[in-house]
Amino acid sequence: MDDMRYLEIDVTAQTNKMTARGVDVFYGDTHAIKAVDVDILDKTVTAFIGPSGCGKSTFLRCLNRMNDTIDICRVKGTILLDGEDIYDPKVDSVQLRAKVGMVFQKPNPFPKSIYDNVAYGPKIHGLTRNKAELDEVVETSLRRAAIWDEVKDRLQSPGTGLSGGQQQRLCIARAIATSPEVLLMDEPCSALDPIATAQVEELIDELRSQFSVVIVTHSMQQAARVSQRTAFFHLGNLVEYGETGQIFTAPKDPRTESYITGRIG
Amino acid sequence: MQKDPHIARAFDRDLEAVQALVLKMGGLVEAALLDAAVALETRDDELAAAIRAGDKAIDALEEQINVEAARIIALRAPTAGDLRTVLTVMKIAASLERCGDYAKNLAKRSVVLSQMPQIGGAAGAIRRMAKAVESQLKDALDSLIQRDVELAANVRARDAEVDQMYNALFREFLTHMMEDPRNISACMHLHFIAKNIERVGDHATGIAEQVIYLVTGALPEEARPKADMTTSVKGVQS
Repeated sequence: MDDMRYLEIDVTAQTNKMTARGVDVFYGDTHAIKAVDVDILDKTVTAFIGPSGCGKSTFLRCLNRMNDTIDICRVKGTILLDGEDIYDPKVDSVQLRAKVGMVFQKPNPFPKSIYDNVAYGPKIHGLTRNKAELDEVVETSLRRAAIWDEVKDRLQSPGTGLSGGQQQRLCIARAIATSPEVLLMDEPCSALDPIATAQVEELIDELRSQFSVVIVTHSMQQAARVSQRTAFFHLGNLVEYGETGQIFTAPKDPRTESYITGRIG
Repeated sequence: MQKDPHIARAFDRDLEAVQALVLKMGGLVEAALLDAAVALETRDDELAAAIRAGDKAIDALEEQINVEAARIIALRAPTAGDLRTVLTVMKIAASLERCGDYAKNLAKRSVVLSQMPQIGGAAGAIRRMAKAVESQLKDALDSLIQRDVELAANVRARDAEVDQMYNALFREFLTHMMEDPRNISACMHLHFIAKNIERVGDHATGIAEQVIYLVTGALPEEARPKADMTTSVKGVQS
């Protein structure tokens, strides 16, 4: 068939991977997130956009309970992963974070070898039985993060010796080594040059065949390029959530329009 | 119009500049159409020649609009309403260019027709039709500038009147041709002229629909009223 789109995964056919209902987040007295409802689809890239301080990163961090580490932070409402409440007291947050992985704004490899950076997660979670299996996980993860060819001959060199773009792909390899089901990315390209950004974006598109990816980005063009669903946050509210093409050609809410077209509002 | 300015003011200036070019182009097309109808009625070959020469300026404006639009897309990566503005402007420019060609064609035929006997009151009827279509075009462009969906819907609805004028002329020409075969040559030219003016009306309608898309994000759904009945005419009783 000539139409290349037949090769794409049909996003509309995807089921909900994560479901958030009536989520409120407070930092002390500050009401940072107000009654947010969002469905994160499986095998789909969802982008969170919005001005600084709108709550998009805060909400992202709720999805794998990273906010637990902040004492004054309180989360209300329900967030389900495959129908299970992730804030249930029985849920082990460390196990949760193996399923819902995260990549941060600045590449932050451990001060260890490239190999150990990737092997760390599978080791502590006991995902492999022997060295051969671990080697395999490290290689597959580095390959999927599109960095294997660049590092295969120096796996024992320190991860911190790589370039910024390579470090970020190493961090992505580390995040996917535990076979997560959802990958959260908080501004993964803001410290990268355009070439490394393009490589990470290509990687995100590849990863979509296996997981759902949620990305927070300040680059509207990046959201438009990589995502199939876009959520626009403003002052702690989820203003609009919809198909990315619709958000960027005919947004329904005037606040979304003002923001994505670069107007004061 | 969008109420808030862009944070990057130069973006506003770019969008305004390209829309000003469309208005300029629209003004030239409207004038060419009216002048061509006058040239036909008054058998003014000089005016007709001026209209034919003036089409170059219309074509040049279309090219300039396309260059500006491509520049905005490349440099500003427009989204949402801005993107729809750029897309709309390009489509309208293409429509106007076509309308300019029809006016030029009218002028060409009027030079030929000025050497032939008059066909009843056809030239006057064609001028009235050209006037109606010109006002459609003008309102369509006003609706673009004012982002006025109601005015655009009104332009769309008015196309039925133009279709009816065309139907009436079609029947009249058919009658003249059946009465006297020596009229055929002039009537064929006049018929093409009427058909072309009717096509300009369709373009005005298309422009109005683009404005509705620009403002609402979706083309109008319901079918517009159509009154061109000539496709089913088999003959007239003389």
